[in-house]
Amino acid sequence: MGRIAILDRIEHEHEHENRDAEYEKKQHRSESHVLLQRNPAMVMPASRESFQGGVFHASIPGGRSGATLSIARGELIADTISEPSLRFSIPLNQCQIDLGGASNRMVFCRTKEGDLTIFCEEKNFAKELDFQSGGMLAGPLKQLKKGLAADANRFRFWLTLSAVACALLLFVGYFGVLWTAKIAIRALPVSVDEKIGTMAFSGMEMGRKLEANHPASRLVQEIVDKLKPHASIPELKFKVTVVEDKDINAFALPGGQIVVFTGLIKEAKSAEQIAGVLAHEMSHATLRHGIERVSQSLGIVAAIQIMVGDVGGLVALGAQVAQTSILTSYSRAAETEADLEGARMLNAAKIDPKAMADFFEMLKEKMGDLPDAMAWISTHPQHETRVQSIQNHQKKLPVVQYEPLQLDLKAAQDAL
Amino acid sequence: MQVDIRNRPSFANLRVQLGAGDRIIAEAGAMATMSSNLEMKTRFNGGFFGGIARRFLGNESIFVNEFSASSPAELVLTQPFPGDMVCTELRGNTLYLQPGAFIACEPGVRMSLGWAGARSWIAGEGLFRLKLSGSGRLWFGAYGAIFDREISGEHIVDSGHLVAYEPTISINVGMAGGIFTSFFSGEGLVTRVRGQGKIYMQSRSFDGLAAWTNSHLM
Ligand SMILES: [Zn+2]
Repeated sequence: MGRIAILDRIEHEHEHENRDAEYEKKQHRSESHVLLQRNPAMVMPASRESFQGGVFHASIPGGRSGATLSIARGELIADTISEPSLRFSIPLNQCQIDLGGASNRMVFCRTKEGDLTIFCEEKNFAKELDFQSGGMLAGPLKQLKKGLAADANRFRFWLTLSAVACALLLFVGYFGVLWTAKIAIRALPVSVDEKIGTMAFSGMEMGRKLEANHPASRLVQEIVDKLKPHASIPELKFKVTVVEDKDINAFALPGGQIVVFTGLIKEAKSAEQIAGVLAHEMSHATLRHGIERVSQSLGIVAAIQIMVGDVGGLVALGAQVAQTSILTSYSRAAETEADLEGARMLNAAKIDPKAMADFFEMLKEKMGDLPDAMAWISTHPQHETRVQSIQNHQKKLPVVQYEPLQLDLKAAQDAL
Repeated sequence: MQVDIRNRPSFANLRVQLGAGDRIIAEAGAMATMSSNLEMKTRFNGGFFGGIARRFLGNESIFVNEFSASSPAELVLTQPFPGDMVCTELRGNTLYLQPGAFIACEPGVRMSLGWAGARSWIAGEGLFRLKLSGSGRLWFGAYGAIFDREISGEHIVDSGHLVAYEPTISINVGMAGGIFTSFFSGEGLVTRVRGQGKIYMQSRSFDGLAAWTNSHLM
């Protein structure tokens, strides 16, 4: 290295007029400026651009100032914005380069001693600095950028990982609550089913309800009475209502409310067929499909209501769900379950479960000429496989001597 | 204009004595008392959308008040929570402030709201930060005492305790010790600051207050 230049600060004319005490003090120190080396061989063109940046130096009041930066003759020059304006410079070949700051784009140029720092985060500053230094600073800058990029990637990785972990926790939590709710619903007393059923029933719009002593009502009631002792929930009170409606339909509400349409009684070929449908519907009630359906439809809402012990709210919402969705259909698994449980009940009541399969067969045949009346079949599809599965299931049931029902279906049909 | 910070460090407030022609800009809710001859103008703080964003995300009021005196007047400014206030002077440099810390500044100071990024957010320092640049004095406050540190290199601050920092400083999220120490000691996340410049910290954090209050509500 050649010549030593003193370049630390250049005072502007007007500053001599308004000096404060501190400035005076600094002035004395300025005799022993920071000595900076300059390579005389390196003569570079002055940069046409200037940049907005800043300086850290002990001689500035407060230790820092915003500054206008320029690069000329191989030096980085900073003129402070604050009054009085001070000039600082660092030869580019002395510049200890660093990258960082809040934006991660700030370029720092420090003296070896670290007492003077000039910084800037303007976009073209790094490029200009590199160009003016003859490519000297490109290597270290690239290295620093690489380091920051790796750090940013690491951060992004952790951020993504945490986000995924949170999502997973939420997911597990959600289904955990649903699963707990399902168990909790099963643990609820059947009286909740009954309340839901009664409320849903009273809010439903239906045709005229037949009197309890109507022959059709009495027929249906007698069948239910015969099946009732074999229900899997003995305390369930089954209540049957016959409603005037030409549709071939019957449904069960939670808690044992069963509705049979006159259309179904009219089309039945035997009392046993009606018994088949009733056994199926009663099974929906004993297997608690209604409340299961309610918990599925209400999902997290039902779960929360159960957890806070708001059974009343659950009943009200459940009744609404029962009115709208139970009539449409249960799940395929629930239907199969009701078929098999119904067959078991029939068998135990000494009624041939074949009647249930017969009824399905009859409905299938009717489908062609009575498309409007097929309400029940529309909510109970896949009858072919059902007939098959009922017949298979019947073989596993205990062998009993079937007794034909001593009921006058003809009289009941004539009374309609 | 003469500004004194009184009742430090617990219930700091600013007494501003304005001469004829003096102006000061203050956070909208900061005015406690003022002379009747002082003129107060409310204006948007850094543009309409900036204001909206600040309102919903940055937790800082949309409006700032500009007080101007045509004859000598007095004004007292406060902050809504107990704590300290400090004064710093900008000389063409920039300072980032945690939203909510700003109290007042001289007219030469420019304000804008900037995105602080996910790191800042995770570190408990907010998704937005107030950028103050230009020339002039500015005052800001914090919950608890405020102390500053001139750093060079890396420094660790408990999360939620960083009030202000210079743009020459980068903010990173770190864990106090390893992941297990963090998890089991409850120390959790810390803010790692790196670079050269000044940071201002508050001795108390709102999260700490919330946790303490919760523990006494149980
Ligand atoms: Zn069914």
